[in-house]
Amino acid sequence: MASFFLSNEFGLIVGICIFIAIFSWVDANFWSPFNLFVISRSAGVYALIGLSMMAVIATGGLSLAIGAIGVCAAMAFGWAIESAGLHWSASLAVALAVALALGYVNGWLVVRTGIHSFVITLATMSVFFGGMLFLSQGQSFRALPAEITEFGRLKVFSISALFLTAVAVALLLAAFYRFAALGREMLAAGACPEAAELSGVHSGRMFILCHVLSAGLAGIAALLVTARFGAAIPSMAGQLGQDWLMPGFLAPVLGGTLLSGGRVSVPGTVLGAILVTILANGLLRMSIGEFWVQAILGCLLLAAVLGDVMRKRYLAASGRA
Amino acid sequence: MGRTSAYFQADWFGPAVISVLAVLVIGLIDRAFISPAALDVLILAVALNGMIVLSQMVVIAIGQMNLSVGGIGGLAAISFAGLMQVQGLPPVAAAAIALLIGVAAGLFNGWLIATTGISAFVITLASLSLFKGINLGITSAQPFYEIPAVVKAFGSEALFDMLPFLSLPTIVIAFALMVLLTRMPLGRNILAVGANPGAVALTGVSLKWTVIAAHVISGFLAAAAGVMAVARLQIGLPTIGDDWLLLSFAAPVIGGAVLSGGHVSVGATLWGVAIVAIITQALVLFKIDPYLVQAVLGLLILWAVGINRWREVRARKGEGKL
Repeated sequence: MASFFLSNEFGLIVGICIFIAIFSWVDANFWSPFNLFVISRSAGVYALIGLSMMAVIATGGLSLAIGAIGVCAAMAFGWAIESAGLHWSASLAVALAVALALGYVNGWLVVRTGIHSFVITLATMSVFFGGMLFLSQGQSFRALPAEITEFGRLKVFSISALFLTAVAVALLLAAFYRFAALGREMLAAGACPEAAELSGVHSGRMFILCHVLSAGLAGIAALLVTARFGAAIPSMAGQLGQDWLMPGFLAPVLGGTLLSGGRVSVPGTVLGAILVTILANGLLRMSIGEFWVQAILGCLLLAAVLGDVMRKRYLAASGRA
Repeated sequence: MGRTSAYFQADWFGPAVISVLAVLVIGLIDRAFISPAALDVLILAVALNGMIVLSQMVVIAIGQMNLSVGGIGGLAAISFAGLMQVQGLPPVAAAAIALLIGVAAGLFNGWLIATTGISAFVITLASLSLFKGINLGITSAQPFYEIPAVVKAFGSEALFDMLPFLSLPTIVIAFALMVLLTRMPLGRNILAVGANPGAVALTGVSLKWTVIAAHVISGFLAAAAGVMAVARLQIGLPTIGDDWLLLSFAAPVIGGAVLSGGHVSVGATLWGVAIVAIITQALVLFKIDPYLVQAVLGLLILWAVGINRWREVRARKGEGKL
């Protein structure tokens, strides 16, 4: 039981409660149905972005390209509907296939060259994003079917359907890491590739699959953003998709995912995304200004990693590590 | 080993040959490429980008990375422009304060990395967001327009109509870094930390202070690049630094730097900058879709990474035979 109180998840729940208490005290409209919808909508997207990064961090690497892959998937979705005239359900499959293929490219390059994933994904981020801009000529796809836009507005008791989708994906992912042999092999390969090899796990293949999984999650995140805007926009993740990096790292790091690989926390990542969203939303509603919020989120990431270091030192000192 | 063969072995030799060949070939296809005006643009690009890239290179030398190079540069740029426009400070004083801000930012990064042992990637990702947020918070994303004539002249005019003034700081810094890395104890410590931190600690060199020193130098150079960018663009844009990240890694990798640290070359890195500038400008000249330029830069990194890898594998096979 004591270990639960020292876990990241417990810390995050406490943090979320504290922020909610502060913000609902300062701002009477914090609990309004509209604000709940806004928060849950953003939290759903951030949670999936965080899970996408988490899937790669499991290998001990990272991916700068998740934003670029997400945008490519969303643009492929828009293209399949508008230019190829496919039904939206078939277009979803096209979008996810594009994302998975790009993830495979990343994973294959990282494993085959043995170069750190930072450099590979830095390069592929630029290639994917540049290629997407070239093919789309920077034009958005705005004539999406009503189903997509309606899904973006759908709410269940003021909670956005985007958030519910993210939770469903997170539950599947948590079950995958805990119960599926493949999920456990991914973590084993990430924790110690050599040891995993000795017990019959193909570490290289696992690393490629981790990148594919991450790309799939990034694709889902981008499709949720598309539903939210009712359009597939090339700039939805910023220049080169870099806007996804901060939320991508914040959520898993807050959630206790080990940056050296081998340990992930799906609930921690989702809770981390919720905490970040509530903090950003509350600060914006207090009219702090979105630019200062960016600075504060940077400080939050620093505080999270520093807190992690201190917790480890405490655990080591009390002989429980 | 003969004298000529030593040249072939030098790090800068390959990139230098490629740069010169590229200029000649592209110049033959289209004479406009080697016109004085075009070469001037090329030199200006290499001068500014060179400073950005050297800032990253110092951190690559210790086997780390600095994602906040653009964040520091942007903060220094708007401080420089803002201090001149709002506080009415003379350009030299404003530049000095901007450089100090860069040093402070580098100190912040280095101190956090060295004392906590957290990866440089995470620390500088967080500080990038912090610096960029402060930048936008101060400026509300509005540019500073009133740049003194002296600064504008520094960014646009050339010494004896030959050498752009903007290239002088880069030349001075490049030589200083070369001396530092090859002749001075601190520089050797920086490279040694990059090659094998454990061994360095055993020799009694302070790992902590070497890491901090590398980040302070990086912050200083990033701030210098920010100040130069203001002079070049003739305006204090809050977006200065936003697009530095890819470039700052592309040039060292293309120049052959090993990203695991311990081995960097100022010459090869600057030739890497030249190659990127030549290709970017050639793509513009040949009216290639500007959207593709980004993709080509990415492919270039992959290609360079592949070449480096192939060279490593071959070197290892060679060792095996001996």
